[in-house]
Amino acid sequence: MKPEVDTALSGFFVTLMTEIAPQLGGEYSTGSVGLIGMSIAMAAQEYDRAADIRFRENEGMRALFAEAGKLVEDKALAKRLLDAATTKDTSLKVSALNVSNDALKTLLIELQTSVETSKSSWAPALDEKIWAFLVDAMEGRRLVFPALG
Amino acid sequence: MEDLAPRFAAYLAHRMPQASNVEVAGVSRIHGGASRETFRLSATWKEGGRDVARPLVLRRDPVASLIETERDLEYNAYRAFHPTGLPVPEPLFLETELKWLDRPFFVMEQIVGCAAGSPFNPDPYGPLAEKIGRQFWTHLGRIAAAEPKDIGFEMEAVAPGECWKRELDKWEKVIDEDELSPQPIARAAIRWLRRNPPPPAQKLSVVHGDYRTGNFLFNEEGDIKAILDWEMCHLGDPLEDIAWAADPLWAFATPDRPGGMIPRAEALHLWQEASGLKIDPVGLRWWEIFNSLKGLAIWISAGKEYHTGANRDPILALSSWYCTDMHDRILAGRLSALAKEERA
Repeated sequence: MKPEVDTALSGFFVTLMTEIAPQLGGEYSTGSVGLIGMSIAMAAQEYDRAADIRFRENEGMRALFAEAGKLVEDKALAKRLLDAATTKDTSLKVSALNVSNDALKTLLIELQTSVETSKSSWAPALDEKIWAFLVDAMEGRRLVFPALG
Repeated sequence: MEDLAPRFAAYLAHRMPQASNVEVAGVSRIHGGASRETFRLSATWKEGGRDVARPLVLRRDPVASLIETERDLEYNAYRAFHPTGLPVPEPLFLETELKWLDRPFFVMEQIVGCAAGSPFNPDPYGPLAEKIGRQFWTHLGRIAAAEPKDIGFEMEAVAPGECWKRELDKWEKVIDEDELSPQPIARAAIRWLRRNPPPPAQKLSVVHGDYRTGNFLFNEEGDIKAILDWEMCHLGDPLEDIAWAADPLWAFATPDRPGGMIPRAEALHLWQEASGLKIDPVGLRWWEIFNSLKGLAIWISAGKEYHTGANRDPILALSSWYCTDMHDRILAGRLSALAKEERA
């Protein structure tokens, strides 16, 4: 058994803030170490969930695109939506998931822009689903501001 | 670490030919504003047969920064407001020659015995919150009430109906240039802001641009002694500053008390009293959405600076992570509610 990365990072945060920062003389150095400590604590939060967040977001966007692709009148956009809906993440590396996340978000921006100006009867419901996705996605990425103790 | 003391002493001797034996000691870098290197120091000299000692602050341009601004903007704001009695440090020297300290800088009075509240502390002012809050909103009203020409605040004017567009164009460009990944919420905000322009500004005012918890100094009695960080000041709609000061990011745990100070309704009432202006709720809502977008643009820009290695100050990484997350969430909540209203 060994401590997981997030456990160690959380420990480093406490050590930096309670033992090292108080020993530093310069105000700027002390402040910088505090910022680094808080960043380490946030990295600890990200460690376990980073891939899961991106994987779920990507799946959520693909589901939206599968539905939207059958509705939008712009045939070229509809095809790109349906094509994107069938893509899969083949690696769980964060860097690989980011590549697909960026591509899907670019398409999501295009879709939302189109839906906002659409007069079609399906547009309000799809717009609501897009916002529900975005609100959930942002909630999923919520970082808790680190506190000692 | 470079030794600024002898170089800055030489500069002071040059700027104060009447002074002799100029010495600089106690140079200490501090976190002060995200776009300039800030140093506290003590200068001593002889003048007219007497010894003079003065604590000063030196603000030097960095190689790259969180916010790219011209240092003379901030200096000129201090110069305009200092004679009005608004608590700002006395500006002393503005220097653009690179031979003194390698980069442009300015020098101002050091406000001693004071502290700034952390914008990330849910209760930054403790028992002083009420007293500080009343001054905070009254001072902002005074800034809005000032006639820019009367106080010598010379900046590019903008038509009252165009204030919103100029600011939105400016910050959209920052996002266009600096985003490291697509920003669906920022883009949705930009579209909403363009579809729903605010009423024209009722008055063209000086806009501080970063008036918030963390950007003023107060003493142990709870008196605000210095309003700082005028790096983003401009002429514009005074509602812009209200919305930034009341943004939910500052002292985020107390949304009913903007910036961790007094209740929102009291804050807005005090501002109206001091400014002599009325707050249009539709206009204020527009500026609130805009300011959360402006925040996003700043954090996006900070992330790019850190990512490219142009500036490795840890505040850039932390603000890119945490503040982007906060402002994305704030905007997603507000915009989804507005979209629901529009659909209804």
